[in-house]
Amino acid sequence: MTGEEIIAKVKASLPDAIQDTALPQGDAVIFVAPDCLQKVAAFLKDDPSLKFDYLSDVSGVDYLIEEREPRFEAVYLLYSIDHSHCIRIRVGIEEENPSVPTLSELWKGALYPEQELFDMFGFHIEGHPKMERLIMPKDWVGHPLRKDYPLTTEAVTFSYNRDFKSELVKSKPPTR
Amino acid sequence: MTLNMGPQHPSTHGVFRVILEMDGEVVETAEPEIGYLHTGIEKNSENKRYVHVIPMTDRLDYLNPPGNNLAFCLATEKLLDIDIPERAQALRVIMCELARIASHLVWLGTHALDIGAMTVFLYCWREREMVLDLNEEISGVRMMTSYIRIGGVAKDATRPWLDGIYDFIDYFPAKVDEYELLLTKNPIWMDRTQGIGVLSREEAINWSLSGPALRASGVNWDIRKSRPYSGYEKYGFDVPVYKGGDIYDRYRVRIEEMRQSREIINQAIQRLPTGDYKTPDNKVSLPPRETLHTSMEALIHHFKLVSEGISVPKGETYVPIEGPRGEVGFYIVSDGTNVPYRVKLRAPSFMAIPGMCQMMTGCYIADVVGIIGSIDIVMGEVDR
Repeated sequence: MTGEEIIAKVKASLPDAIQDTALPQGDAVIFVAPDCLQKVAAFLKDDPSLKFDYLSDVSGVDYLIEEREPRFEAVYLLYSIDHSHCIRIRVGIEEENPSVPTLSELWKGALYPEQELFDMFGFHIEGHPKMERLIMPKDWVGHPLRKDYPLTTEAVTFSYNRDFKSELVKSKPPTR
Repeated sequence: MTLNMGPQHPSTHGVFRVILEMDGEVVETAEPEIGYLHTGIEKNSENKRYVHVIPMTDRLDYLNPPGNNLAFCLATEKLLDIDIPERAQALRVIMCELARIASHLVWLGTHALDIGAMTVFLYCWREREMVLDLNEEISGVRMMTSYIRIGGVAKDATRPWLDGIYDFIDYFPAKVDEYELLLTKNPIWMDRTQGIGVLSREEAINWSLSGPALRASGVNWDIRKSRPYSGYEKYGFDVPVYKGGDIYDRYRVRIEEMRQSREIINQAIQRLPTGDYKTPDNKVSLPPRETLHTSMEALIHHFKLVSEGISVPKGETYVPIEGPRGEVGFYIVSDGTNVPYRVKLRAPSFMAIPGMCQMMTGCYIADVVGIIGSIDIVMGEVDR
């Protein structure tokens, strides 16, 4: 199916659950609220003409700088192996208490990327069996891929060539 | 008994740690632990211009730099909505297939070494060296080539490179037969690999495995066929699919893929189109050096591209390619500036780790090493 056909089919079947649709460069994209996500995903997986049986990836985006409402977004990429078509589900997530239901009951492959969403963005994944850090150390503070988490550099503590520490002190602007 | 394996273990192929709960010699549960190689490439990409991200993508899956470059460039080009000249596409295909061969050679060598076959390792490294020499000839670097750029490729093909490829594709098929002679019918190899680490078709799809691991479980899924990019639809090649889903079938899929990659390179080089090796659009690629002295426009384009970089229209896109380990894809969000707003890599090794640990449950401790090798994880792209 082409992107338009997929969108038309999903819209006709679940008119209440789909907030919006888009067709950037021909890819089917649907916008879904967090509380409808599991229902939409189960429909996409089970419907015989859609049959999205393969979850390719889950990613998160923080739209803080764009000042979008809601601030966060989780993006799910689905394929159908038999029909060889794809769809993207974009789920807007509120800044206060960011939480989204898990899709790991439908696709086991979602377990790892959802855990990464918790680690990198601080989303609470409802129903996920393991809500703990995945990539960052267990005692890490903050969620690195949020836009308000600054990209910092680490001061080099020791070098054979140059005294970086004193250079850093020297290069600081004078305080008034 | 709890047994800790890694992160510093020779057969985990990098810094991968797995905590095994054992019952005698049988693994009850395998708990993966990753993050030892986290370098923050996704965060860094949000603070660099599009062109500056390309060298970092080399370091993600360090056995497949052209594939990562290609996935990132294709995603950016999709947002820019530009067409790539035929010659550039063919050069991209050749580089990616060479990388696939080199990557599979590294996999075969180390995987066989893990299971105890020393000779194959030395043979594979010998042929891989030829590919790395070809990389050096065309890009100046042996491994981190950064050869594929937004709008085309970095340099045109040179005569010695083309001659080297002709030599390589003549030489290589006999060598694949040689590896097969050492392993395919070897009773020790068959005992150690057949019926071990089995994942059924449904499980492989449900656990989001991709690439050779998925095809070894009987799923005919190859991005080059199902969603062709860079002109793959023009090449005739087969996608090897086996039904066993064990280590042995993953081995057979990859061996056959090396032959098919050689076939694609052969077709690409036989009918290498003439023309530009990068897009003539000077908003994306630098104008030729010699025009800078005669053309004011070229000078302005040059200055703007070097000082500001490429501005990508607002939007979001995802483009997958078929890498040696499976589906490599970049999800890029652009806010209309010269710096990407969000770059997300879909890493096949990362997605395969839970499925891999699923295979380990119930197997013997000695087979854990074989299972890790058969999935061919690269920790650079797992931890990013």
